[in-house]
Amino acid sequence: MDRIPIMALSGAVTLVLVAGCGSRGAESSGGVSGDTLTIGASMSLTGSLAREGQLTKEGYDLCVEKVNAAGGVTAGGKKLKLKIAYQDDTSKPDTAAQLVDQFNDKGTKLILSSYGTPNTAAQAPVVERNGQVMVDAGGADDSIFHKGYKRTFAVLSPASQYAASIVQALNDLAKPRPKKIVFLSADDGFSKTVTNGGTATANKLGFTVLPSQYFPEASTDVSSSLNKVKGQKPDVIIGSVHLVEGVAIIKQAHELGVKPPGGFAETVAPPTPDFPKTLGKLAENVLSSSQWSPTVKGSDKIFGTAKQFQADITKKYGHTPDYHNAEAAAGCLALTLAVQNANSTDANKVRDALAKLDTMSAFGRIKFNALGQNVYKTMSVIQVRHGKPVTVWPKDEAEAKLIWPGTAS
Amino acid sequence: MTAFVQATVYGLLQGGLLALVAVGFSMVWGVMNVINIAQGAFVLLGAYIAWEVNATFGLDPFAAMFVSAAVLFVVGYLVQRLVINLVVNAPIYITLLLTFGLQLLLVQGMNIVFTADYRSIPTTYASGSVSIGAVEVPIGRLLSFGLAVVITLLLVLFVTRTRTGLSIMATGMDRGAARLMGIRARHVYALTFGLAIGLGGMAGAMIGTVGTFNPADAGYYTLLSFVIAILGGLGNMYGALLGGLLLGLVEAWGGQFLSGTWVNAIAFAVLVLVLIFRPSGLVGKAFYSFRLEV
Repeated sequence: MDRIPIMALSGAVTLVLVAGCGSRGAESSGGVSGDTLTIGASMSLTGSLAREGQLTKEGYDLCVEKVNAAGGVTAGGKKLKLKIAYQDDTSKPDTAAQLVDQFNDKGTKLILSSYGTPNTAAQAPVVERNGQVMVDAGGADDSIFHKGYKRTFAVLSPASQYAASIVQALNDLAKPRPKKIVFLSADDGFSKTVTNGGTATANKLGFTVLPSQYFPEASTDVSSSLNKVKGQKPDVIIGSVHLVEGVAIIKQAHELGVKPPGGFAETVAPPTPDFPKTLGKLAENVLSSSQWSPTVKGSDKIFGTAKQFQADITKKYGHTPDYHNAEAAAGCLALTLAVQNANSTDANKVRDALAKLDTMSAFGRIKFNALGQNVYKTMSVIQVRHGKPVTVWPKDEAEAKLIWPGTAS
Repeated sequence: MTAFVQATVYGLLQGGLLALVAVGFSMVWGVMNVINIAQGAFVLLGAYIAWEVNATFGLDPFAAMFVSAAVLFVVGYLVQRLVINLVVNAPIYITLLLTFGLQLLLVQGMNIVFTADYRSIPTTYASGSVSIGAVEVPIGRLLSFGLAVVITLLLVLFVTRTRTGLSIMATGMDRGAARLMGIRARHVYALTFGLAIGLGGMAGAMIGTVGTFNPADAGYYTLLSFVIAILGGLGNMYGALLGGLLLGLVEAWGGQFLSGTWVNAIAFAVLVLVLIFRPSGLVGKAFYSFRLEV
């Protein structure tokens, strides 16, 4: 065989191989390949938010298991198995945004969010630009939803409600009613929005709000802020924080003898399993808001009731569910229902179906306003009792009465 | 006034803990001219070992830290002999890259083995405090501060009074001349690295006792070590202690008198000032100062 035909043949083979490798044909319609629908999720599996990221992933994974056990998701008259493709974003917003682009390159148009406001806020504009659609189950800051995005929908209550619901619960339940409240806040966008929301509600309800103290995000040393508020003698200290700062506040307050008569309340940290595990008795009676509680009313075909969800998480992961598990499962549920309602995996059709979605679920009502926020779901308030979160507010969801004052026993 | 005294006391105690984290890093940089980016990861490995020993055998973390130190001494010795020694003569960027890679491996390994859960070593006393007037002195931090001082003094005695210690310092000053005097540089380097990592392990046990830890904290402790080594200066065993105390105080006072969000900016501003006015650090020897010029 002479040289030219060999080169031509090898060139043709190469072309076929390259075309085969680079083909997106199989996955071009919204991440469908064969009988599998792939959803993309960049996740904080390492880095500073790895714990919260892991809890979020657990919720997503349980959703996949339940949806597939129920026969999968129907789109275009075809039953599809659900699959989530994970990529570790190392808790970094720029990586989380790049990974959304990578998913798009692979033809994956349906996205479940990473954990936390910075990551989600970085992902939302990329989703918008690429014509993807994202259900946000981990970024609560209101600022994400005031930028005109049309393709991001959050199942969770907004950040402004986190401390506001705690303040409302104190107003409704605490007797004697505390007078002076102070916020210790991390300086990231989410925590600042939490503080602003809580301050506005506290002012409206007639509490005296002392000047808020801010410290760098992810600090393990908040002693300066505690030292400053010690002399102001607040009745309650509310931490607008994530897990690591929340643990530091309680530990260092104990070291520094900062003992507000009403005790402590914090966002995000107390409902997580790590909070009582690292703090032991110091965690007792700390208040927190929660996106979900096992007493939430409502049910759905995938997860059943909140109690059933609680049992499923406990069985699968060996710990009681925290709200990060629940909001993740709710996000995945919303996306699945939208695909079913649209009867398509096309991103535009799924987006429209999400905008119209209005359903009850094991996580309460899921319905989005014009900004893409789920403002129809109330947050509950929990108190740590014997190392477990117990719902104390609102009254119709309460599992137990508030122990007040909440100073650790 | 009470708030100022409280901030000062807390800052000093915190500084002692930071010094303990950094002393090994400073020693390795001074003696071997290796910037050990993996220092933070080794510190956390020490915390996990102490946590495991405490959880399995119920050993108090102040005893478990010796187990951490022993295990990490062996690990450090072997890492130096088998890995870092391969490139010890290469430009500093190569060792920088190598230890950076080691850090990635260690952090990911800890994520897999121990998960990303936040942990703390429980004791009945460490989070308590002693009241002196209106000032609270946290017991756990006081103990770790005492440990940092004792370790610094022992290190000074070690490098000035023992043959091994003198050989470490001699190798740090002039490896070629030390070799001509019959010192086995390879062994001395491995000993130095083992000692440094072992001390990092002790610091990890202390961090786990007074605070919380998870693998993601590795970068933070490496950065702290770097800042403290530069603040204190190289070539003097007191350097890390003084650098740590200065950083602790600056952070405490900065947080007290200005907004808490300025803490890091103030700490780095002090670092810049020290570099301008004392390029070799607070007590560093000028001979080593070229090593600050990475």
